[in-house]
Amino acid sequence: MGRRGWTLLAIAAAGVLAYLALGLSLDQLIPRAGGLQIARDFFAAALTPALTYEAADLPAGIGPFLLKVLDALRITVVFAAAAMTLALLIGLPLGCLASESWWQGRGRAGGAIRWTVRGFVIGLRSVHELFWAVLFLAAFGLSPATGVLAIAIPYGGTLAKVFSEMLDEAPRRAADALEGLGASPSQRFLFGLLPAAAPDLAAYAFYRFECSVRAAAVLGFFGIPTLGYHLKLSFENLHYGEVWTYLYAMIALVLLLEAWSSRLRRRFVA
Amino acid sequence: MSAAAARIAALRRARPRDLFLRASLLAFAALAVYSWSAGDFSLADLFSERRLANLRSFVAEEVIPRPLRDGDPATTLGAWVRTQWTDEPGDRIAAGRGAAATLGISVLAIVLSWLAMLIFAPFGARSLMICDPYVPNTRHSRWCHAFWNLIAGLTRLGAVLLRAVPEYVWAFLLLAMLGPNAWPPVLALAIHNSGILTRLGADTIENLPPGPLRALRSLGADRRQLAAVAVFPAALPRFLLYFFYRFETCVREATVLGMLGVVSLGYYVMEARSAFRYDELMFLVLVGAGLVLAADVVSGLVRRRVRGA
Repeated sequence: MGRRGWTLLAIAAAGVLAYLALGLSLDQLIPRAGGLQIARDFFAAALTPALTYEAADLPAGIGPFLLKVLDALRITVVFAAAAMTLALLIGLPLGCLASESWWQGRGRAGGAIRWTVRGFVIGLRSVHELFWAVLFLAAFGLSPATGVLAIAIPYGGTLAKVFSEMLDEAPRRAADALEGLGASPSQRFLFGLLPAAAPDLAAYAFYRFECSVRAAAVLGFFGIPTLGYHLKLSFENLHYGEVWTYLYAMIALVLLLEAWSSRLRRRFVA
Repeated sequence: MSAAAARIAALRRARPRDLFLRASLLAFAALAVYSWSAGDFSLADLFSERRLANLRSFVAEEVIPRPLRDGDPATTLGAWVRTQWTDEPGDRIAAGRGAAATLGISVLAIVLSWLAMLIFAPFGARSLMICDPYVPNTRHSRWCHAFWNLIAGLTRLGAVLLRAVPEYVWAFLLLAMLGPNAWPPVLALAIHNSGILTRLGADTIENLPPGPLRALRSLGADRRQLAAVAVFPAALPRFLLYFFYRFETCVREATVLGMLGVVSLGYYVMEARSAFRYDELMFLVLVGAGLVLAADVVSGLVRRRVRGA
């Protein structure tokens, strides 16, 4: 058996091992009693997403259901965009400081600072945004700003990590030419390297924006009025048609953003 | 104007400009301004008196491990960590069990979604899903084109639908149907990542160098043989890169999926939170971060090897 065979075997073995370690069995995959009823009703509703409220007794003065869905989408995007602006403010400077190129020609102290920044960035991004959310809930109490911070911090860390790699891999001809003309390390970085890496950075930031929309939707499960909040409520009230409307709305939003960001990437990132 | 200045001005006029990029940046800037003005999140509110007091007691007391906080000589920090890590009778948390479950969930999920990619990626690759793959300049009926386009299109559409829904939402829905065992988080991760991997795999197949494939085709290999003998071996290194790349995110997501009520680190995090034991909560979050970090390092090393090989 060749190397390819061993690789495949190792992957399969890892899967089997995990299956055994988790104590799973295949008959758990078949929903029972209550679960079966839920599954049936839920999937039956897939083709008939709700266009109006499913509840019989509505509170007075409540707006149309579809407007509520649109507003949930709007709030989700608002959270994601606010988180992304903060994440960029965190990620761009840290990304520069974590890159090798920034410290090139600045003496030896740079290495220590660079590794400190990298360690800090790793700390930011290793904690999942939902854990950040729980920590902030415990530290500050529930507030919309905690939701924004919870996304912004790990995303800022991820942006910093990827930005620093992109800056180090950017084409260096312009930067080297500037250096040859006597530019300072800062000038070399700002006018030679940063413009060369900018399209990559922008494309990646847009991709992360798409991710942050999903993250913002999920944060709704923790009481922030984004899409996940309404989806959870509808599901718990057994209004499966409404759940599908929210799911389709989210899919449409993500597809739109993805079309946008992939169009950007196609143009600028060969 | 000197010649040099004129040249610079000309270069500046001729610099690459793209309307779409500019419009995108402008749109995002507008969105950012709007979100900070329309969204009701003032960062100043976070630093109001009440919240600051909350924060102070959180940082200065609540997250400090109990033995350190009380200065109780009976329990040392080491003993405290050991109790957190292992199973204890009663309602104690067990970070070790949570970490093991998190790892198991992510490994099984990534293996399942990788298998799904091996099966579905070829169907999404337009280079294979045409009437006569890797034969240049052939003419076929419109129906034949439509048929193969439909297959590739449907595969890609399915992949998009699977990945547009976050893992957490999938897990929430599956949990209600399958009950509290490890399948909901495993399947949730597997579904979402199958979508991502199928897309990436199909793109990889489309971008394979066509030379060897054309040669095999001209020797009479059919579509299935092409996929098994030439496409799969050529794409395997990329596929492995994707396996480890998505494994990292699987571990990351698996840590939190337990918050819905099945065993992973997140489950114990929620328990610690509802019991207001913030020192344990912090410990669990740090264990999660350690796990994510370890997965990142391992996957980074393996990916470097795969790239080098």
